[in-house]
Amino acid sequence: MKTLNSIAVGYDGSPESEHAVRWAARLARTVDATLTVLHASGILERLGSPFSHSVAPDAVERILTEEGLDSTRCHWVVDEGDACSALLHSASPPINAELLVVGSRGHGKRPGMLIGSVSLEVVQHSSVPVVVIPGP
Amino acid sequence: MVLVVNEVSDDSQHESPDHPERPGRVQAVMGALASLDLGSDLIVAPTHVATRNELLRVHDAGYLDELGAYCYGGGGDIDQDTYATYDSWSIATLAAGAGLSVVTELQRRGEGVGFVAVRPPGHHALRDRAMGFCLLNNVAVTAASLVSQGERVVVVDWDVHHGNGTQQIFWDEPNVLYISLHQWPLFPGSGSAVEIGGRSALGSVLNVPLPAGATGDVTRRALDEIVAPVVDAFGPTWVLVSAGFDAHYLDPMADLCLSDGDFAAMASCVSRYVSTPGRLAFFLEGGYHLEALRASVAATLASVLGAPHEGEPATNGGPGASQLESVRAQRLAAFESWTRELGN
Repeated sequence: MKTLNSIAVGYDGSPESEHAVRWAARLARTVDATLTVLHASGILERLGSPFSHSVAPDAVERILTEEGLDSTRCHWVVDEGDACSALLHSASPPINAELLVVGSRGHGKRPGMLIGSVSLEVVQHSSVPVVVIPGP
Repeated sequence: MVLVVNEVSDDSQHESPDHPERPGRVQAVMGALASLDLGSDLIVAPTHVATRNELLRVHDAGYLDELGAYCYGGGGDIDQDTYATYDSWSIATLAAGAGLSVVTELQRRGEGVGFVAVRPPGHHALRDRAMGFCLLNNVAVTAASLVSQGERVVVVDWDVHHGNGTQQIFWDEPNVLYISLHQWPLFPGSGSAVEIGGRSALGSVLNVPLPAGATGDVTRRALDEIVAPVVDAFGPTWVLVSAGFDAHYLDPMADLCLSDGDFAAMASCVSRYVSTPGRLAFFLEGGYHLEALRASVAATLASVLGAPHEGEPATNGGPGASQLESVRAQRLAAFESWTRELGN
């Protein structure tokens, strides 16, 4: 019986998020699930160098290739919201993620506090299981 | 007509290097007020720090505790957009209390218009989470206070970003009508026309998403033809405006193409939503191009105060007019869908 159809992983360009993408890609290949690599653009990104909405960054493509994931089973999605909301929304249509994967650090800096930690915020609010991947 | 403003306090310690949500924004607003030369018609309401009970009407206790501890622990980045410093808690509670003070002064006088010139802005702040530069939801704190006094409040949000925090806080509150005109798609991603309020307050949310490039003719039509009938049916006793000015064509945050003359026209529209004097107050939200912010605030206030002002003309010709009918249709379909669900 297939137990996991859709996995979403957050990506913000940090080494921690690359590590999370790699872990999620391995799991997706193992259980034959669809993988959505999700980037939240937030407000400020438009002032700098925004990620493409249509093409995944080279670092993500490289990881997915190295992990041998079928490209038809991977999706790159840029969400207009903040990282926490984007991950939480991925559990709803159209992504319908049944598992969320997030790096343990990213922008958060204060151990033990929900504020400033995307991973803890997601864990607290998610309706589906969450895997928090420690930094490399 | 008098203008009631909050006493501006020192917000210089809530800043982050190169961040567009910066102390110069309130200084730009003060420049706009000075340019109107209101003399004794400019009334300054006393400083009020929002109390814990006032904040608890719209925020969870756990969030308030965490935010205070985070700030007094030295602050830092909360997410990719939002920051806090050691002083942010005291500055944010002053911002949240400023609207209460301005409204109290308007109630005492029974006349005038309010302007709440504060930062950080508030309309993205959720019940239990900071986001989008916002820590505490300033307009929601005031709206909730008015509701506790038996008032019916319309919040008109014309910031270029959807005010997801305000919408969430009042989702099931039948005494608050939340209306937003915003660019879509854009941060925070919410704000579609099918979002119409929760089960206890169906119809208490009205979203008018606008495409990039939309001009003032579309916002004026939206306010007059789509929003005004809904406001009339609601019957507000107060109108609070989440007045972001980042829909200005010079603002770097988005792609709407409004001029300061368009903000004046929108202010004129919303001022007609309530007939009792002294029941209209504007709250600063976004607006990051300082000259556009100064000019737009001046035009907005001149419009509602009847003060002389020379600014840019209103704009026309951008996209979006054809989408207004679609807003109406989507909203109706959402109503029908909810009605069916509640009937089952």
